[in-house]
Amino acid sequence: MPFLEVQHLTKDFGGLRANSDIAFTVEQGELVGLIGPNGAGKTTLFNCISGLHPVTSGQIIFDGEDITKLKAHEVARRGLARTFQVYSAAGDLTVKENIMVGCFMRTRSRSRAKARASEILKDLNIDDLSDYLVTELPVSAQKRVTMATAIGSDPKFLLLDEVAAGLNPNEIEGIMASIKHVHDDMGITVMLIEHVMELVMKISHRVIVLDYGEKIAEGDPEAISKDPRVIKAYLGERYVREHGVRSADSTE
Amino acid sequence: METIRNALDFSDFPRLDLTVAGAVSIAFVVFPLFPHSAFAMATMIQFLMFSLYGMGWNTIGGYGGQVDLGKAQYVGIGAYTTAVMLIRWDVPFWVSMPIGMCLAVGWSFIIGYPLFRLKGHYFAIATIASTLVLKDIFEVWGFVGAARGLEISPIKYNPPDFLRLIFRDDIYYFYTILGFFFLGIFYINWFRKSRLGFQLRSIKDNEDVARSLGINVHWAKVKTYAIATAFVSMVGSFHACYIKSIEPEDTMSLDISILIALMAMLGGAGSLWGPIIGAGILIPLKSYLKEWLGAQAGLVGIDLIIYAGIIMLISAFEPRGIWGIVEKIRRRTRS
Amino acid sequence: MDILVGSLFAGLLIGMVLALVALGLTIIFGVMDIVNFAHGEFLMIGMYTGLLTAQGLGIDPLLTLPVAAIVGFLLGIICYFGFIKFLLRGPMVAQLLGTFGLMLFLRNLALLIFGSEDRALHHGLLVGKSFDLGMGVIVSATKLACATLSVVAFVAVWLLINRTKIGKALTATALNAQGARYMGIPTEKMNALAWGIGGGSVTIAGALIVNFWSVNPFIGLLFTMIAFAIVALGGFGSVPGAFFAGLVVGMITEIPGFWDFFTYTFGADWMVDIPMTSFKYMWVYVAFFVIMVTRPRGLFGWKQ
Repeated sequence: MPFLEVQHLTKDFGGLRANSDIAFTVEQGELVGLIGPNGAGKTTLFNCISGLHPVTSGQIIFDGEDITKLKAHEVARRGLARTFQVYSAAGDLTVKENIMVGCFMRTRSRSRAKARASEILKDLNIDDLSDYLVTELPVSAQKRVTMATAIGSDPKFLLLDEVAAGLNPNEIEGIMASIKHVHDDMGITVMLIEHVMELVMKISHRVIVLDYGEKIAEGDPEAISKDPRVIKAYLGERYVREHGVRSADSTE
Repeated sequence: METIRNALDFSDFPRLDLTVAGAVSIAFVVFPLFPHSAFAMATMIQFLMFSLYGMGWNTIGGYGGQVDLGKAQYVGIGAYTTAVMLIRWDVPFWVSMPIGMCLAVGWSFIIGYPLFRLKGHYFAIATIASTLVLKDIFEVWGFVGAARGLEISPIKYNPPDFLRLIFRDDIYYFYTILGFFFLGIFYINWFRKSRLGFQLRSIKDNEDVARSLGINVHWAKVKTYAIATAFVSMVGSFHACYIKSIEPEDTMSLDISILIALMAMLGGAGSLWGPIIGAGILIPLKSYLKEWLGAQAGLVGIDLIIYAGIIMLISAFEPRGIWGIVEKIRRRTRS
Repeated sequence: MDILVGSLFAGLLIGMVLALVALGLTIIFGVMDIVNFAHGEFLMIGMYTGLLTAQGLGIDPLLTLPVAAIVGFLLGIICYFGFIKFLLRGPMVAQLLGTFGLMLFLRNLALLIFGSEDRALHHGLLVGKSFDLGMGVIVSATKLACATLSVVAFVAVWLLINRTKIGKALTATALNAQGARYMGIPTEKMNALAWGIGGGSVTIAGALIVNFWSVNPFIGLLFTMIAFAIVALGGFGSVPGAFFAGLVVGMITEIPGFWDFFTYTFGADWMVDIPMTSFKYMWVYVAFFVIMVTRPRGLFGWKQ
């Protein structure tokens, strides 16, 4: 049985169809990338899975349980955590306190939350940031903090929404190592939305592609980067040139 | 045990804060020993009462960021419960106060449950409406004295009456409310570091993020609203015994609700010291302005004009309050 | 029967005036998402303007409307540039308390200048006269005239917003301030204009209301709350909504009249004992609370 299963998921906003009949599965221990051009409905899909948006139709099954109708906090308590694309850590809390908010999902005790937060800080190599306000930090550090906050809630499954957007190549290396660490060493299944192809193609086991709210392709990174539909919809001429991918359909 | 330790643990404050807080606490405790006017004493008691109101408001309004402009109704519930029970059935303060708190908290759940479906302006205005409804009911309800209100006559009792909290000398009231004041500080100190406190601060910042961290946003707000209510109702009960004459117009008026929110904001909402600083500035200012300009110079209203001017200046130029300025300076010197 | 018709009629008339009261609030909210607690105080100033101009110049109170409109327009503009502009940068709590400060300021300024006693108009073309509309319904001439003029003023403002270029710019600012700015609309001026129109329309309403209602410095809050109720019912920012909601709220203020009617009709003795007149405005607040909680965007709302 798959760990996360999405069946025929459709989401409408008024007259606009943001997700149309999307279906995929994720196995436990996988690292799956979700890509697609801007406005393809990736974040909407995450919002539906994590319970922030009610779905129009379809089903979401997580760990053998139907979570379609659950509220966001109930989904989170079942071990499905997420990060947000826009800066999303509480402004007047320090980094450590932010992570503690996550930890408080599993414990009532302040001392235990605090201890767990220190552990995570050390684990992700950001314990030197511990006492800063999140608003004082550069973007790259903020991204790590939001990731650490989500990990504080001890998830089994983590949805990462563009953790590498706006970072320079060095920082991307760093965040990539963190994601790998979370996945390999902590044993958390990860699904990530990413525009930075270098990152997503390198670490994903499997990639799902959305375009105009529909799933247009799915497969291992190698195959996806050669898939004509994907190249047409998303990667564009530039990527094709740089990576020397030849495909019968990619002539235009 | 851990709870008590956390409540007494102020170690995350800089030493300067603690020194000042300690000095001010000692000054409060010894204040009645020094010569003072009855007016100064009354102002002091008002200050302590409003600090407590402000601390209560600060839980939901400051840490939680929900602008609640309807706290006066709970002042009223507390005050009326104590007054009615004392006058009709001779129930002592220490029994009627918890009952009043229970009633107020019960009412806060009834009101709060639908109320917190609203956000922002809508929430703030709806809290006002809920207070006005209750006030209108109390103004015609004969059982609680309708618009004339209730009067506790001290002659019937034998002051100092510690059970019923009827005293002739204000000094007893002062120490009673001072005791509540310190308890209140310890409670808020615990609250701000508790699970609910953290959850609330996360909600204030971004509700979607809070939800995805497993926080039941609606329930957390309703719970905190009840905590704020308990504070306010407790002081309301004290208000009944201290003022001895209560009527809907001054215990439940919109002005009280706003004053409570305003003090916390002036001092710095979402910080432990904020409401206390706010009350420490606004209450003396208000009563002395009234005494000097209103009563003595015969200029009715000018005290409130100045007071309104201060409100306008703060909200336009320093909405984070005095504590916000202090924190800003501290961060600047640190980095 | 005549009580019922009388109450219905009275509710409709007062409702038309109340709609004009709420119009300014809904325009200001629509354009810049700010709730003006001082709205009732603007009305109070309008009432004093009408009263004092009429008494000072010895003219009929209904002729003071242009003066009231100018005073209100200037007041709105001054408030915007002198104060509200600075509030817009701050968080919501500062905006709420800021306009509340403005309310306290204006109220106590009036108290200082005019004193706390009730003042009423005793002279005027229509004061004290009334029409008999048959079926025993007697309507005071002032109320009828005020209701009519309110509707005229309301329609004028509505036309200004919907049919003129400047009104369209105002609507654009309301829908998307940033977009409007990119299109070259001076949004700052539009905000000020919203305050001007808002202030002007509510002072006109004040100058009308003073014909049949005595004025004191504390009267503002009641009207602020009524205006909030109307705006909540009609939808925050919706002008046509405000009109219909005004009529509904006018009816709600006449609940005591309907109560009397049912008491008579059914001869229900228990109903007599309930002092419904004291609850006159409570029903407005109750309705307001219920509307807010069940339909936060109002019955005709469009602004998210």
